[in-house]
Parts: sequence; structure tokens; C-alpha cells
Amino acid sequence: MTLADDRIADIAGLQGQLESAGYVAEASLAATLLLTLDLGRPLLVEGDAGVGKTEIAKAFATVRSARLIRLQCYEGLDVHAAMYEWNYQRQLLAIKLLEQDDRPLADKEKDIFSETYLLKRPLLEAISCDEPPVLLIDEVDRADEAFEAYLLELLSDFQISIPELGTVKAITRPLVIITSNGTRELSDALRRRCLYQFIDYPDFAKELAIVKIKAPQAADEFARQVVAFVQQVRRMELQKKPGIAETLDWTAALLRMGITVIDDDGADRIIDTLSALIKTREDRTEFTPDVVARIAATC
Amino acid sequence: MLTTAAAERSDIGNFLLTRIAGFTGFLHANGYGVSAADSVDIVDTAAQTGILNQPVLRWNLKSLLCKRYEEWQRFDALFDAFFLPPNKSVFEQSDAAADSEEVTGGGDDDGAHESPAMIDDAVVDETDAAGHGASRGENLSSTDFSELNQADQARKVEALMRRLARRLKHLKLRREVRSTRGRRLDLQSTIRQSVASGGTPLRLAWKTHRRVRPRLVLLLDVSRSMNAYSFFYLRLARALCNELKDVHCFIFHTRITSVGEALRDPDPWRAQERLNVLAVGWAGGTRIGECLQAFNREQGSRLVHSRTGVIIVSDGYDTGDTAQLADALGTLRRRARRMVWLNPLLNRPDYTPVASGMRAAMPYLDLLAPGADLAAIERVLPQLIESLQ
Repeated sequence: MTLADDRIADIAGLQGQLESAGYVAEASLAATLLLTLDLGRPLLVEGDAGVGKTEIAKAFATVRSARLIRLQCYEGLDVHAAMYEWNYQRQLLAIKLLEQDDRPLADKEKDIFSETYLLKRPLLEAISCDEPPVLLIDEVDRADEAFEAYLLELLSDFQISIPELGTVKAITRPLVIITSNGTRELSDALRRRCLYQFIDYPDFAKELAIVKIKAPQAADEFARQVVAFVQQVRRMELQKKPGIAETLDWTAALLRMGITVIDDDGADRIIDTLSALIKTREDRTEFTPDVVARIAATC
Repeated sequence: MLTTAAAERSDIGNFLLTRIAGFTGFLHANGYGVSAADSVDIVDTAAQTGILNQPVLRWNLKSLLCKRYEEWQRFDALFDAFFLPPNKSVFEQSDAAADSEEVTGGGDDDGAHESPAMIDDAVVDETDAAGHGASRGENLSSTDFSELNQADQARKVEALMRRLARRLKHLKLRREVRSTRGRRLDLQSTIRQSVASGGTPLRLAWKTHRRVRPRLVLLLDVSRSMNAYSFFYLRLARALCNELKDVHCFIFHTRITSVGEALRDPDPWRAQERLNVLAVGWAGGTRIGECLQAFNREQGSRLVHSRTGVIIVSDGYDTGDTAQLADALGTLRRRARRMVWLNPLLNRPDYTPVASGMRAAMPYLDLLAPGADLAAIERVLPQLIESLQ
């Protein structure tokens, strides 16, 4: 009994901490984050662009006052960009300098392949921190399958083997958060190793809470109207639905234009600001003054 | 793990732990990829975080056991079905019957937005099928999928799809990768390699453009008018799924359902079972426009990108709104790289594309080709490969 009560208190506590770090999280997300701490497994976060996947890692790092190490994946990402690389220019220079040196060859070689000449990339960096950092592997679906296999090896053993130097074992285990946009199907092996969280577009209450935290200059009633408007827009059939970042941008744009109330009279002025919310031409053509006035009237 | 955790609990706790461990089996029966390691983790977690609080248990299990979006969506319903007190006849039925009903529920979820009436229909159909066991073959909701496993044609289909897969050229990407030969020298890598030979660049490294195969999305019409061809195309789809990795297959009639998972099932008989469940409404009417719109809404942004070839197989007989179809095709065309339509009726000598759906589709297609049987597909294979590049 008390066990469960403790857990609920922990979850509420983490929710509060995340909120003061600027991230509004549902209880279920907080529960999952606690579970990743307990089990030491990576967390795979999926969801549409702009729902705040990356922000989770940032807020979580702030809460745990840990360092955030970010690896942005892209097509063609390889081991040298992700794990480590030898600083070969310096190595070449050292070879030339060591030519005059009369130490035995083995010593020289050891010198050249020492940590001085090793460039740490995010993954190696993450496992050689003294304090456990938060490692954010962003948009892992953009990297290719081969890289995923490397990643799996790292995530299961938390060690990297460098042929010239030997195996580097993790001093502390980083908290790993992986995000994916689904441009490529991830391998089952990676999915199996991770905890999973799907993040949907926020509902009205959550989005309102976010707007209030991130845009405190907006009046309560105005914030409510903005969020109601955006929620309506998301229900339309659009190519690109606005994410939370768009909502915040749009709020800022409206305030900048001196608009402090959303009603059908101001539809023309609202249209001028929609470029902050709607990001494709086809979607833009949907928003005629009539449509905007109709949505605004319901807010 | 189970025993140590359970020993500290009271009888009721013990019972609950056993029940939670049984939940993985239940999910597995519903097509979740859960493993034995997961059940150990669950019991572990439950012992650590408490199990008597329903929401916490639900959140924890959800993030532990779901591995993809479809599973995430279905989880809450399955959790309720397993843990909440039974309010329906589900528990009075035999295990098998309860399972299959659950799977039907899952399939419905995949097909997404259908009206509640539709779900009722499906259930009614099922009970009908059970009631008239003898006339099972005639029942629309229980189409005989055993045809899918016939060996005679299977080998030819596989051979053809292998050829398609092999000749489907890799698309050239902007990103460059290292390679043993090429036209551009990879200076960074060459110098890196020269370290091994004391700074003399003995071996040269090259750069070349990375190539990937296009992703394929198959949309198969399985309405009544396509009845004669549906199995043939499913077989093609299965062979193609086995050859290429990035193939996504959907069937549609009055709504659209993903069958990729079922087709990939290595056990042919289980695949057949799963298709049976998914094919509620098989050989019914067609609403192509509506289905494509649903596809755009739910899968479009996730699945279709600038390297995707979309293959639609349909005769174009549409009972839905033609404007809607044109609209949906337009959206899909803009997202995709290429769009191909295979129409099985096309090589009939007297055929003209008069079907309203076909006419609406014409402006958006890169290729409209016939494909009634294997020979026809074989004939258009070069064009098909050409247009998917």
C-alpha cells in the first residue's frame, strides 16, 4: 500500500519539477521517466514533429541537474562523428616531431595513440562523464541501420572499443532518451531494448498550461482563446498540423501585432499572423477570412 | 525473480503478480512482440513500485510492453479487458474465442475511424459465421485464405518479385559515404589511413553517393469487384515483403487496414488466421476516396516521403465521392516520389477507363498498367521498375 502511495508522490514530485523546468508532463510520462531511472533502460519517444519530444530530455536534464549531451542523427552519420575520431593532423605532426626522439618505437606508438590525440564525440563523451549525464539521441530514424547496430552495442554494454586504445568502459551510465519521427522503421532489436512513450498533440488543458508557462505575458482569457483556436485548427485536415512550438510562436506574433483578443471582427488581422502557425501553401489557402472568422467566433 | 518478489507479498499480492505475469501472454496472443524477459521486468517493477494502484501499473506496463505506435494505441483497451472486472460474456467463452474477439478489436483499431455501427456489423458477422458453420465458405466475413498458401503459383510469384526487388535500382542520395572506389577523393579518410604507414598515403579512400532502395507502399483494393484478383495480389505483396525490407502493405474496401504485420508472419497458417481477422468487410463495397483520405490522415506523414513509391491496385469502381478521391490522390501524389496504378481490367480488349474513379485518378498517375495475372505483371515489369525509379 505505502509502496504505491510513495510512487504516486514521486510521480507528482517529478511532474512538479518538470513543470518548474518549463515542461508540462502528464503523470504517465513522469511515471515512465521514473521507470527508466529504476530499470536503467533507454527511453524511446515517438510522436509527430513539434509535440515536444526533444524538450523532454532538456527538461529532465535540468531536473536532475545533469549535463545534456546531444547527438543529432542525420543521414550518413558514422562512427567517427558519433563516437570518436583520432586527431590525425596532430598525430602526423607528432610523428614528425618524434622522429628526432630516440625512445623505442613501441613507446612512440603508445604516445601517438593516447587519449591526447583522441577527439571525443557525443557517445564516448556520454560514457566518460563523472556524473551520469542525459544522453539525447535525436531523430535516430534519420541515421541508417548500420549505425543503429552500433548504438545497440553501446546501449547494452555501455562500453566502446577503440582498436588502438582498448575498451573504454562507462564510468557512469547515462540516461538515454532516443527520439524518432518515423521516417524509417526502427529495428525490433532497438525497440525491444527501450521503454516506449508515444507523445500525442496536447489536449486543451495541457496546451493551456504550456502557453501560461512559456508565454506569461499573455492574459488568461487571451491564452485560453489562442489555445482553443489552435485546437480547432488541428482538427482540420491539414498537411502539417501546428505543434506546440507553433502555438507559442503564434502567441508571440499576436501579442507583437497588438492583438489581445480573438474574435470574428479581427479576422483580417489574425490572418496576417497565421504564417507563424500554418507552414505550407496548400494549408494556407484553406484559411480564408470566412474560415478564420468562423473559428475565431467559437473561441 | 518472480519467487523472491512474490515471497514478500501477501496472498492477494501473490495472486496479482501471477496475474500480471499472465498479462504478457495475453498481449502476445494479441500480436505484441513481448518476450519472457519482459515478464521478469514487469514483476520486478511491480514489486518495486507497488501494484495496487491501477493508473501507475497501467503507465508502467504501457511504456514497458508497447514497442510501437499501433501497440500504444491498442494498449488501454487490452489492459481494461484483462484487469477490469468482466462485465460481458467474454470470460464465459472459451479462451480461443475470447482471444479471437480481442484480435478483432485490435484490427478495428488499426483501421481507425470507423463508426460504431461498423464494429457492431463485424461482431454480428462473426456470430453469424459461428452459427452457420456449414456455410462458412460463403460468408463474406470469413473468406477462405487457404488459397494464400498454395505452392504451385507461389514459387513463380516469388521468383518474379525477387526480380522486381533486384532490379529496383537504388536511388542516389546527396550524402556521400566512403567507398573503395569512386570519383571523388576522401581526403580526410586518406590522411587518416596514412597514419598507419607513417604519413605516406599509400592507400587512397574515395567518396561516392549513398544509394538506398525506394520505400514501397502497396494499397490493395479487396472489394467485391476485385474478388478474382485479391488473393493473387496478396500473394505478390507477401513475396515482395519477404524480398524487400521497406514495404508497407494495406488493404482497403470500405475502410483501410494495415496487413504488413500479418503478411510478414513466418508461420503461413498463423498469417492466414490473422488475415482472416483483418478481413472483416472483405469483398464488400468500395470507397476508394474515403480510404485514401484515411490513409493520408493516419499514415501519410509517417509513411510516405520523397523516396516512396506508391502502388495502388484497384479496378477504379468507386461508390464514394469522386472529388474526394481526386483530392486524396493529389495529396498522396505530392508526398510520394512516384505513383503507380495497376488495374487488372486494363488488358481486356474492350476496356476503356470509364469507371469514374479511374478517370479521376488519371491526372495523378505516373503509370497506369494492366495486371490481371502473373504474365501481365511480367510484361509490365520493365515499365513498373522504370517508373518507380
